[in-house]
Amino acid sequence: MTARVPRRTILAFLGPSVLALLLVGIVPLLYAVWKSFHDFNLTKVNRQKFVGLDNYATVLTDGTFWAAMGRTATLFAISVPIQIALGLTIALLLHRPGLGLFKTLTRLMLVLPMATTYAVVGLLAQVTMNQKYGVFNQMLGWIGIGPIDFIGDPFNAFVGVIFWDVWQWTPFVALVLLAGLSTVPAEIEEAAQLETKSWWTILRHVQLPFLIPSLVAVLILRTADTLKLFDMVFTMTRGGPGNATEFIAILIERVGNRQFDIGMASAQSIVLLAITIVLARLYIRMFYREVR
Amino acid sequence: MKLKPMASALALAAVAAASQAQAWSLEEAAAPYAGTEVNVVFLDRPGYAAIREMLPEFEAATGIKINITTMPYENALGEQVRDFVAGGDLDIALIDLVWIGNFAENGWIVPIDEFTSNPDLADPDLDIADFFPLVLNAFGAWNGVTYGLPLDNYSGLMFYNRCMLEEAGFDGPPATWQELKDVYGPALTKDGKYAFALQSKRNETQSADSFARVLWPFGGSFLDANFRSNLNSPESQAGLQFRQDLMAYMPDGIVAYDHAETVNALAQGDVAMITEWSAFYSTLANPETSTLGDCLAIAPEPMGPAGRKPALGGFSLAVAEQADEAERAAAWLFIQWATSKANAETYLRKGGVPARQSVYQTPGIADEFPFVNALVESWQDGVPEFRPRFAEWPEITEIVQEWGTKMMLGEVSIEDGAREIGTRMEAILEEAGYYSGDKPLAQ
Repeated sequence: MTARVPRRTILAFLGPSVLALLLVGIVPLLYAVWKSFHDFNLTKVNRQKFVGLDNYATVLTDGTFWAAMGRTATLFAISVPIQIALGLTIALLLHRPGLGLFKTLTRLMLVLPMATTYAVVGLLAQVTMNQKYGVFNQMLGWIGIGPIDFIGDPFNAFVGVIFWDVWQWTPFVALVLLAGLSTVPAEIEEAAQLETKSWWTILRHVQLPFLIPSLVAVLILRTADTLKLFDMVFTMTRGGPGNATEFIAILIERVGNRQFDIGMASAQSIVLLAITIVLARLYIRMFYREVR
Repeated sequence: MKLKPMASALALAAVAAASQAQAWSLEEAAAPYAGTEVNVVFLDRPGYAAIREMLPEFEAATGIKINITTMPYENALGEQVRDFVAGGDLDIALIDLVWIGNFAENGWIVPIDEFTSNPDLADPDLDIADFFPLVLNAFGAWNGVTYGLPLDNYSGLMFYNRCMLEEAGFDGPPATWQELKDVYGPALTKDGKYAFALQSKRNETQSADSFARVLWPFGGSFLDANFRSNLNSPESQAGLQFRQDLMAYMPDGIVAYDHAETVNALAQGDVAMITEWSAFYSTLANPETSTLGDCLAIAPEPMGPAGRKPALGGFSLAVAEQADEAERAAAWLFIQWATSKANAETYLRKGGVPARQSVYQTPGIADEFPFVNALVESWQDGVPEFRPRFAEWPEITEIVQEWGTKMMLGEVSIEDGAREIGTRMEAILEEAGYYSGDKPLAQ
């Protein structure tokens, strides 16, 4: 079939999308790579010069960069397992037969946090967690707790970011896993239910193998999301207090847009991109098994 | 005999000047530029809302269209820098006093001489000497050259809840920072209320409103005469230690307080005193945003061992280098009009704070606007380099913000934190060429 389609037609169909991808994705990336080899500060444009790998050497030995990476990794290590555990629970509950209308409503409601803009989530966090007027402290007050300083305390602010990340992304994990569960053939599930009453055995040996592709997808997407997490934290804490919530994307924005050091920020971004690609390849190699 | 021709010449000159003054009008000056569009960035603050309200009058008189993009302070610098580097379409630069060195050294702004020396464009009633010299120098001038005219002008003032102070047995506000901490602090911090709040969020607020505010009154400063860090001097350390001690009388989580939280804390009666920019008067006096009513009172900032040295901040407008000839002329006419002596009172009444000395001498103004006396007093004793105004400030302020907040949180001692800021600050200044003599030691 393919052989009969003229090459010109194929090019006509593929060309615009390839061109768009080149313009929107590849050209800026190459420009960032090029700039990362320069000492290029927007406020000192006259002193721009080629510095080779100097920016990379600075990034790789910069304690601030690795501290931000460490915070990002900590956020990921805590919030993603919580999202998977809660998401799986929700998916399993929704996968059970019965209560059709209730489940449809629940699915619809699950979309709401995901559909909320990151920056709005950050503002919502700021308003609800305000020490004096926030609804969280109001409710805690009813049971005699608080008021808690959510935003002004370094530890609490970090916990706050985890809370809102879980709030926003657990529904996404739940929906992806629910889709995964729907790929389990009904006859296998029914046969397993005749064999055992243990839900754990069914989950472990029947459902989980079908969930692996979904879990890998969740891991890849959530890793990328966490590494580039910016808007929510920026509007909520702006990386503070101190640098308690200065995750890697916040740091890069600070260097690029507030210190105007585009060369350094580009080098940081390229290092981050390399880390993301390596992590994605690792996930696929370690976890991904084609379901047959 | 000789006096006669001289007197005649003087009389002639006076008549010529008078006729020129009469001859000049905004309408006529702007006639060649009718239809010109001028682009400018404004902030979402009362002083800019005031100009927006006044703008139709200017546009009707001149036919010049002013396109305003309003944005938060945090974005204004980045937006303008990118526009100027890319040769964009901004015709006027909005300059915070700490951006002036940066903008001037990069050649992004035009000295006002280009316009004041042009009789077609210069309003004979411009009267540069009428601006408070400190304000004009700090907000609009760099290295002896004036680029901008002050538009949105602030001095740090003490706003306080007179009723709370009277209930605690005080007749008036503290005269010194020491008194604020040792006497007012313990007496007013009780029952969930606090004596004081110092906005200290990790952004420019931490550098300008919190860190610098305790350096200067105690005799400290960012840099010494040789541009080396002065942050570990006994005076600077005393100021920073004072801030740590004063935190005992501030709400928890003060490092998360920006202007809005601090002003609100006073407006809602949760704290008794704050030191804030004069521009927040309208928020605190407005019954829709404040419960203070008659309890609102205003004084100059307290004094330290080195004097009053109140916080100084504000914005000027300058013509952008990248504007074409017609846009430059139109932009200048707008700047001249917005900051003029003639419009100062209207600007004040609409919520702005002009930098014109004459308006504050108008009978009745001081009674109508209770912040005036404190403001005028503060502008006599300010420090232009309250925050250094050189091009490297955007990099340095990030360091101050990070380590200043860490000090307040107790994550680093004030001595180690100051040393850390000093080391990093000197590295930036070294690279910029201040120590090798490539750049003059101007701040």
